[in-house]
Amino acid sequence: MMPRPYFKGWLLRVVPLLLLVGVWAFVSATKLADPAFLPSPLAVLAAFSDLLSGGEIARNLLITLFRAAVGLVLGAVSGVWIGLMMARSQIFRAYVAPIVGGTYSLPKSALIPLFALWFGIGNVTAICAVYLACLLPMIVNTFHGVTATPKVLTWSAEALGTGDREMLSRIYLRHALPDIFTGLRIALGFSFVLAISSEMIASTSGIGKLVFMYGENGTYDYMFGALSCIVIVAFLADRAMLAVTAYCLRWHESAARAETA
Amino acid sequence: MAEQRVSIYSLRLRSLVSVLLLLSAWELAARMHLTPPLFLPPFSVVAMQLGRSLADGTLVADLALSLYRTFAGLALAAAAGVLIGMLMAQSRFVHWMIDPIVALAFPAPKIAFIPVFILWFGIESLSKILLVAFACVFPVIIGTYSAARSVNRIFLWSAFSLGTSKTALLGRVILPACYPRIFATLRIALPVALITTFTAEMVAGGGGMGATLIYSQRFFESPTVYAYIVIMLCVGLVLDAAMVKFQSRYLAWSE
Amino acid sequence: MRDVTRPKIDVSRLSKSYVTDRGAVLALRGTDLAIAEGEFVSIVGPSGCGKSTLLYIVGGFLSADGEVLIDGQAVTGPGTDRGVVFQEYALFPWLTVRGNISYGLERQGMATAERMPIVERLIALIGLKGFEDRYPRELSGGMKQRVAIARTLACDPAILLLDEPLGALDAQTREIMQDELLRIWLNTRKTVLMVTHDVTEAVYLSNRICVMSARPGQIVEEFTVDLDRTKTREETFLSDAFNKVRNEVWLSVRRQALAVEQK
Repeated sequence: MMPRPYFKGWLLRVVPLLLLVGVWAFVSATKLADPAFLPSPLAVLAAFSDLLSGGEIARNLLITLFRAAVGLVLGAVSGVWIGLMMARSQIFRAYVAPIVGGTYSLPKSALIPLFALWFGIGNVTAICAVYLACLLPMIVNTFHGVTATPKVLTWSAEALGTGDREMLSRIYLRHALPDIFTGLRIALGFSFVLAISSEMIASTSGIGKLVFMYGENGTYDYMFGALSCIVIVAFLADRAMLAVTAYCLRWHESAARAETA
Repeated sequence: MAEQRVSIYSLRLRSLVSVLLLLSAWELAARMHLTPPLFLPPFSVVAMQLGRSLADGTLVADLALSLYRTFAGLALAAAAGVLIGMLMAQSRFVHWMIDPIVALAFPAPKIAFIPVFILWFGIESLSKILLVAFACVFPVIIGTYSAARSVNRIFLWSAFSLGTSKTALLGRVILPACYPRIFATLRIALPVALITTFTAEMVAGGGGMGATLIYSQRFFESPTVYAYIVIMLCVGLVLDAAMVKFQSRYLAWSE
Repeated sequence: MRDVTRPKIDVSRLSKSYVTDRGAVLALRGTDLAIAEGEFVSIVGPSGCGKSTLLYIVGGFLSADGEVLIDGQAVTGPGTDRGVVFQEYALFPWLTVRGNISYGLERQGMATAERMPIVERLIALIGLKGFEDRYPRELSGGMKQRVAIARTLACDPAILLLDEPLGALDAQTREIMQDELLRIWLNTRKTVLMVTHDVTEAVYLSNRICVMSARPGQIVEEFTVDLDRTKTREETFLSDAFNKVRNEVWLSVRRQALAVEQK
């Protein structure tokens, strides 16, 4: 989806976004929209830099990122382990699969009030919600990647002297790595959604709470400022994930094809 | 074949056993006051509350409202998403214009936009429907675009040689060929739509399952909290099963 | 004192059945095979006759009824004494050429300093110097197969089990690889058991050919091949001796294949 050469392509991709900002500026300048409902880009920018210098964005953003990251890491590690166990043990799979399948359809945000009941308002609630949301894609993707390991690969490994435990870490897990990274990207998205949802529903801090608060107070330029921050951070986090994935999976056939956004 | 049949039965049995074990453990733990009754009311109490909510109509009203918002938003997202995705596939210019916006918006947590939608559209259904549409449209665009691009050239060439005009090609060949992929995308978008509706209701109120859920939590009515979560779980299961049925019935021609 | 008359690989009364939707399917029926040390034996036969199954059983990947002895010991599972090369190469895609080849040695706990010379020697043997740090996805089919062979040779197994090793290669690469295989075998003199559907290939490489019947498989005919391996490919292919044996084997396989048609 990206034209060559790289830099020119990158520049080209930014133009539509700039056009969008241009339309936004035009709409607010000509007062087509009530400035109360849509502050001008300049007002939002001013609010944004004010928040930045005042440290409010930094402080709250860090809290949100902390919650998302902890939940994500814990969810990823347990998810991979559970997925691996499900793939390698029939008994484990028989008892765990129904639970996994059942919770697939449950919107994890619905558990936020429950966690708020148990743990009160704050970090634990948010981290639990993120953890549960990230767990499922990791389990499913790991399971898929491990079970898809071709027999000739495991047989070759056995004939080359690989022990049982080594098979898990050196063969099955490595083969599942592309699927695990796919799950990780999905889980990353979930971690942001659940962290911000928790903050809007049951928290006194975090950037989600910040956006909500500014909305309630009526300071909409600050609200849009904080919102832009969220969008940019989420975008950059996703890009970072893609870069890490590309590096770790440089051996994979997909690396041979051009990168798709 | 005999081997297979036994394993399906035993799988169903094991699932049932898992669920029953879970429920019994729940009931026991609550009755024995292992946890404060506020945190974990007995399953029987939750079940009774469920019955009550059903009887007085609040559950049905809430569910109907939430589902209405979910499906309205999803339908909007489907219509807009398929249209935009198809346009992007057909026109390089449209693709160039829209793609960066999609790429920027896709990873963003759309939930964060709740205050914006409340500001613009109020706290009633409209803001929630539009938020759901906003949340679901991007995966639909991406799915439709990639499906349309990957329609096998052989189909297109056959259609051309059979005398199909360029515009008819879109409606008669490309779009139908994309139905399975588009449907798969919608199936993935459905949980997103549900979550978005429930979360928006929890944050902003305005009726619906989410609003009742959060009020119950705020007033420490835990049986209602549990009852509603159980219903949400069932709704999710039923809707997904329905989509699978639909897919196997009407889209069975695709692998 | 080692018993030199005892076969390296001794298969007796080997039977294997699978359970499928339609009930039990017999893949191998009471088959026998004895391979002496240093022999290059090929198994040929119609598709689906069970020749790969036999190889997998010898490799210890599948269980079966009957007896499989390696140096007089029963086979209980896969082992580093039997190296295996598959048609699909089965290289570990996340390891480089060097990583793949040194894999077996690492499993044995060999130190890096010890490993490297062995790995380098093998890379030179297969002619892939300069490609040590490439990943399998960057290699052609022939190169991948060479790496697969080198990876197996690294553990210095006494026996090589080859399952249609050249089946995925195009005709030209195939011919080159056949000569490679021959060269490596003449160099190392390992005991080789190869499964192939290409009769010409079998005659060119092996000194004994076993023809398997259609399913349920049994070895029904054996041919000894006594060619002068110092000759060039051209000389061999044009010689009468070669063509005589090839025609005989081909006829035998054809008879078995037609028997399938008539069933």
